[in-house]
This record gives sequence, C-alpha cells and structure tokens, in this order.
Amino acid sequence: MYLTREEERIYNGEHGWAKQVCMKILVKLGELFGASRLIPVESAHVSGVSYKTLGDAPTDFLEALANTGGKAAVEATLNPQSLDPQHLAERLPENLVKNQLKLCEIFKKMGFETSYTCTPYYIKTPAKGAHLAWAESSAVVYANSVLGAWTNREGGPSALAAAIIGKTPDCGIHRAENRKPKILVEVKAPLEKETDYGALGIYLGKVLEDKIPFITGLGKPTPESLKQLGAALASAGMVNMFHHDGAAAKTIEKPLEKITVEPKNLQETVEELTTTSTKKPDLVFVGCPHCSLSEIREIAEKIGDKKVMEGVEFWVCTSRHIKEKAKNYVQRIEASGAKIITDTCAVVTWTDRLGVKTIITNSAKTAHYAPTLNKAEVKLASLEECLKTALKE
Amino acid sequence: MASPVILHGRGIVEGKCVAEALVSTKPISFLGDVDPATGKIIERRHSLYGKCVKDKVLCFPHGHGSTVGSYVLYSLAKNGLAPKAIINRRADPVIVVGAVIANIPMIDQVDVNQIRTGDLVEVDAHKGTVKVLKSTAEELAKCT
Repeated sequence: MYLTREEERIYNGEHGWAKQVCMKILVKLGELFGASRLIPVESAHVSGVSYKTLGDAPTDFLEALANTGGKAAVEATLNPQSLDPQHLAERLPENLVKNQLKLCEIFKKMGFETSYTCTPYYIKTPAKGAHLAWAESSAVVYANSVLGAWTNREGGPSALAAAIIGKTPDCGIHRAENRKPKILVEVKAPLEKETDYGALGIYLGKVLEDKIPFITGLGKPTPESLKQLGAALASAGMVNMFHHDGAAAKTIEKPLEKITVEPKNLQETVEELTTTSTKKPDLVFVGCPHCSLSEIREIAEKIGDKKVMEGVEFWVCTSRHIKEKAKNYVQRIEASGAKIITDTCAVVTWTDRLGVKTIITNSAKTAHYAPTLNKAEVKLASLEECLKTALKE
Repeated sequence: MASPVILHGRGIVEGKCVAEALVSTKPISFLGDVDPATGKIIERRHSLYGKCVKDKVLCFPHGHGSTVGSYVLYSLAKNGLAPKAIINRRADPVIVVGAVIANIPMIDQVDVNQIRTGDLVEVDAHKGTVKVLKSTAEELAKCT
C-alpha cells in the first residue's frame, strides 16, 4: 500500500502510540483487502459502545488509546450504549451502570460525539458520494443505498481507527466497480407495512450471500421502510447495500442472475421470526433502528389520548437529538405512559434483568436478534398492531 | 534426524519467536471462546477446551465471530497471557486487528495441518516462515 510521508511517520510512531496503532490497523486491513492507499473520510461512526455486548475486554485498549493522545480527527459518532440514564439506570445493577459510564467517559475524552444512536444520519446527513467509515450495519446499508454515500461495513476497531486517523483504506465498496449490482431481485409480494419490508430484508439476507442486489417491485417506499429493509438485510446476511432506482439499472452490464420473491417467502419469514403468539407481552418496542422525527410524530398522532395498559411497558427508542427536536410529540407520547428511551434500545440493554420475557416489535432486526441477545420470546407485528397491543381501548 | 520442515506463508504482523505449538482444527472466536483473565479456552464444544494459549504459537484455520474478539487479544497481552505468535490458514479482520493492537507476530496462508500440538516451532513473521524444529511425531517415533 502506498503511504504518504506523513502517514509513514504516524506508522513509525512519531505521533505517539494511539495514532500508530490506529494507522497499523488501517494499513494491515487495507493490505488484507487489496487497498492501494488511504482515502479521507467525511465521518466515522463507531460501534462497540454497549457494555452489554462488549464486556470488560475493550476497556483496557480504549483507555490506553485515550491516555496516549487518541482523539477523533473527523466527525465521529457513537452507536447506542446499554442504558438510558433517565429511565433505565436506576433499574439496573450498579456495577453494570458504572462500567458502562466508564466506557462512555473514555469515548468522550477522545472527542467522540455522545450521540449513542444507530441512526447518525438523522443528526447529520452525509453528502451523496461522500466516503465514510461507519460501523453499525443498518446505518451502513442506509448510507450506501438510500443516501448514496460510500462506506464499507466497518467493525468496531476499524471504525475507531478510521475516526482517529480520519482515513480508511480504498478497498471494498469505496470502489465504484465493487458497487455494481450482481443479482436481480423481483419482489412479487405486496409490500404494505414496515414489517413487510423488514421480512423482505431478512429473507434476502439469507439468500443473497454477498451479492449486491438490484431490487424491483418495492413500490413507493418511505425512507423509513427502506431503513427497515436495510437493517434486516444486514442482520441476516453479508450484503452492505442494495439498489432500487433507475439510475443503478444503467450500471448493469451483462444479464444477471435473477430471483423472485413470492408472497409465501415473506409469510414464512414472518412465521420463522415469531416465537410467541402472546396478546399481552412484557414489552412493546418500536424504534429499531432509532425512530426518525416523522416516526415519532406518527406515533404521537396515533396514540392520541389513549393510555398504556397496566403490566405492559411501551418503549419508543430514538436518539437524544431527535427527542430534543420532537419535544411536543414526546410529551404527548409520555402522557400515555409510554417511555421515550434514548441512547440505547431493547437489543443492547439488559431487558432480561428488567423482567422482560416477551417482546412485540415492528422491527424485523429486533425479532431476528431478541431470542439470543435478549433471551426473550418475540412477535413481529406492524406499528398499528403494536399500538393496539400496548394501549387501552 | 530429517531436515526441519519449513512452511511458507505471508507475514502480517512482524516479529520472531521460538515456542511450542498449540493447534486447533476449528476456527477460534476470541470473544466467547477464550477467557481474557486466564488465557484458557472456555468454550466447551471447542477442540482446545481447557487449554491455555499463553506463550504458545497458536495455530488455527481462521477467526470468526464478533470484532470485540480483537480487544480480547489486547487484554490477554496486557495480562501476560497472549500467544507468542499466531499462525492462520486465512487471515480475517478480527484476528489481524487483534494481532496488531496486541503486537503478536502473525503469519497467514500456512497449512496449519502440517503442525501438531507440542511441536517446537520457530516463527519468523518478517520472512513469513514457520520452521518445525522438533516434531512430536518424530519424538513419538523414537520411543517406539
């Protein structure tokens, strides 16, 4: 790999250990994947912030970085952590809260934005064609497929290194030739609710392997529906982007392999994702990925004056940023007894320690993960049905 | 004694060492399979269950699982429990990043089936070579 003189100096340790080790991570990964050089990134988004998924191992490394001058060189946002300071900290064991806060302090010291969201694009939308180094697979698919930005699916450590150096290797889908569709997907199933898009994502994630699809038959999806599709696609498979508009059709050079998605494929996917038929779950959860402003507005309007049933928790997860922007809606939602949860979500907090054994959600990604990551039974249902389940008539 | 077997691969993280090999036919996920506080393999279904990676030349096909595994390698090194070197058939990002941040010499593109647990091996990650200095197979042959 070609390195500039300055990059070489960093590699050789002339700017301290933190930058050196980050540069080495980028160069070694770049060499592994055939990069020719490093390119600047507009922003980095770092996963691996939740103490629930990290445990103790990373604290040592992150502390060492912070103590040797590790600082974010570009705009760098953080993925959700494992608790909401307002609603959940008091209900969780003290040592877990302490360890989580310690991790948050280390990131803060290194100049990372305390965004704690999986939807950093609602804080600042990257420019079309901008190169990014984002972890968090749902945001990666959204950035590549909906926003037209360019990012590989980084891991926690490589996104961290990219944030501190401000660059990433020019491999993978940072190269135009690697972004072309490799397979045509014709959706013959009707897509009406957000859960239809989620189920489609899970189904495609399992059958596409690593082939970038060009998808037809999506109708006129909202960005939020595409968010559900992308989040599910990434959680069930290896694909980091999809094409769905006419512009991409022009890049198709030769006849491609083609598959169709029939209604029964989606019905079976929903059935596979649903492990309980309960009418009264412990938790009703929407906001995976974190809600947009328009989703918060929609929920507030649909709740109206209704109240949440006793014995049911209703969480609406979003970022601090959106919560602040949606103040009026937030008041209306919380007046019902629902909670606006920020900084975390059901998947990355300890729902089992809060006594949650059954979850109903409109997120196919959550439905995919909850049985293992939350040790909970789960049901995939549309927002309409989630609201019906949570609210008194 | 036959001349030592020399295996050629690709050096990923620089460094040299001579140590005993610990060989796994299965991939290793450092998050979940290895305890960063003891260096032992704690995954019951793993072929190396109960073995300690400390000071070994750890040979396995490739890594898998969460990228948090890279940080486990760093913690092992900080606790003095890291392997002396890592030999893989195919390098993957989790192990490469782990070896970089923990500063563990690493070579890939090596047929790890040619090495046996207990073999004394010399690793030179500058040249990308693994030399089997003393093979357990030969020792066994001598005894019979």
